[in-house]
Amino acid sequence: MNALLMLAIASTAAAAAPSNPTAPMFRGGPAHAGVQAGAAPREFHRVRWTFPTGGGIVSSPVLLDGVIYFGSNDNNVYAVAADSGRQLWAHATGGPVAATPAVARDLVYVGSYDGRFYALDARTGATRWKFRTGGERRFEGKGLDGLQPRTQTIADPFDLYLSSPVVANGTVYFGSGDGNVYALDAATGEARWKFATGDVVHASPAFADGIVYVGSWDSWFYAIDAATGKERWRFHGGEDALVHNQVGFQSSPAVVDGVVYTGCRDSNLYALDAKTGAEKWKVFHNGSWVITSPAVTGGKVYYATSDSALYNVVDATTGKSEVQEQGNAWMFSSPAVAGDVVLIGVSNGSLEARDRVSGKVLWEFQTDAAKQNPGWVLTAQRKFNNSLLFRVQWQDANTVAVERMFAVGSIFSSPLVANGAVYFGSTDGNLYAVE
Amino acid sequence: MRFPIAVALVVLSAAEACAAPSASGRWQGIVQIPGLPLHATVDLEQDKSGAWIGSIIVPELAIKNVALTEITLRDGTLSFAIKGALAGPQEPPATFDARLEGTDAMSGTFTQAGNHAPFALRRTGAAQVDLPARSTPVAKEMEGKWVGQYELMGYPRQVTVTFANHGAGPATVEWVIVGKKVNNLPVDLVQRDGEFVRIESHEFGINFEGRLRGGELDGTYEQGPVELPLVLKREGGPR
Repeated sequence: MNALLMLAIASTAAAAAPSNPTAPMFRGGPAHAGVQAGAAPREFHRVRWTFPTGGGIVSSPVLLDGVIYFGSNDNNVYAVAADSGRQLWAHATGGPVAATPAVARDLVYVGSYDGRFYALDARTGATRWKFRTGGERRFEGKGLDGLQPRTQTIADPFDLYLSSPVVANGTVYFGSGDGNVYALDAATGEARWKFATGDVVHASPAFADGIVYVGSWDSWFYAIDAATGKERWRFHGGEDALVHNQVGFQSSPAVVDGVVYTGCRDSNLYALDAKTGAEKWKVFHNGSWVITSPAVTGGKVYYATSDSALYNVVDATTGKSEVQEQGNAWMFSSPAVAGDVVLIGVSNGSLEARDRVSGKVLWEFQTDAAKQNPGWVLTAQRKFNNSLLFRVQWQDANTVAVERMFAVGSIFSSPLVANGAVYFGSTDGNLYAVE
Repeated sequence: MRFPIAVALVVLSAAEACAAPSASGRWQGIVQIPGLPLHATVDLEQDKSGAWIGSIIVPELAIKNVALTEITLRDGTLSFAIKGALAGPQEPPATFDARLEGTDAMSGTFTQAGNHAPFALRRTGAAQVDLPARSTPVAKEMEGKWVGQYELMGYPRQVTVTFANHGAGPATVEWVIVGKKVNNLPVDLVQRDGEFVRIESHEFGINFEGRLRGGELDGTYEQGPVELPLVLKREGGPR
């Protein structure tokens, strides 16, 4: 099995490192396989450059024609030269840009917490068109996670991302906090259709064979006809009427070889038949969310869990575990497979490069903030210091705790690999290029 | 003659005081965690048997009436641990290791989760040790087995609670909830407060508070954000 995988990796690596690498949207392409064209370094050498912004970065960098595009929670969309880290332009929106842009036909598409969806000129950052959704909001629930007051609605501080767009056949698709999935004409911004779900859609839709696939926080996963906006099928994930903790699709799907792979807050990784929505298999993680969007290649699925901090590789056909490695802290960042290396961000302020076959850590980069460990957010073993962070169970205590956690430079961004470097954002406000 | 003896006595007691300064009292100061200074109030005293008891208040961490354990004082070196509050079940407790300085000051190292920070406390008054609530006996009329039911997320749950008194000591409680499966809830606290009784299972995050009226325990089931009415009746009917 491993020999076959090594062969597959070798052929991938041989095909890697194109002269003009491209990764124009979240997870690399419309199907969200999470495979990068470039080969990742197996050793850490240095930080090539850092690009500071005025807010945390949970958006993932994308690349087209030597330019990196990403959003920041300082409200800006940025274009930066991949080789030097020099700013080419910044476009201010009215809210945090917690989504990953998509670039197609000289336009950069991305949504903002201001409730608008933008199409910007890729060369200048000028607005070509913008579309107003029904408004953004975070997932929320009464007595969320057991917090008091039990009758008060509390917003979920772990609802970090906005939906990232996918562009296919002249249409841009994305989800919204207003509960809709939108399809807009990519050239004009005119609505082609919208599909209503029962709650926030912050997962990012994948596109394959004329179908848009995306999950909602209403506990349903949907397959929608890309041309008409009609539902093809829906699949029900877990419910949690008690504390609203084990419900909703925050993970974004990957669609590979007729199978949809998605994580869920009900602590399962699901494999669904792309045509029918029938469950092929699932892997249960004992109450630990699966937020990462799985990467799928060479017959393997790569993903990680949140609280239990498990890095997993399972067989794509059966769901059988092939590698399971205990990490230090929650992983929300979606893994990127690059040659014989898998890269993943960790919320304790680390970027990990793991061997694709063994899953062992090859090298690790730590933000300066993580090394400083302000307020003892981390234990000496670099796990989250939950006994100190989550003492209070009242009102917005979890939001306060999460803000403190972000102070270590959590890496929620999914890494981009190109030109021998790894690019990723951090909640310390920096976009990093390391090699 | 008398003068030298008096002087000698004073010198002796002063030397004794220097050799074994008392740790008893209320101590207040700051633990210097980088980016998170904590205001600590520590109360220490000796009980009737001479054993040290203590409690701690840290408002930034919502810590109040949390017991101190492993309190030792030897040759001016004081150490104690915080019971439970700042460590998981499998983790070592947070600890203070201090050197008493004169009669009204101590300083040392606070350790939690493998991290270390300096602290300094000053004695500000007499000890006001405030230990966590303890279980009590229940009313005699509450002794025995009680049954009831509630519905949660569309499923009925059968509840059985059995109280047993043990003289003046704390009552013990068997608490069983049967839904899809049988759950024997470990009870961490049972407290009588007049006609009221409260039982808590910290592991399950489930509490029950009931009032004894008309031969029934008329109360509330609490779990996370859920509060449901729950009436427990004596098994086999009223006595």
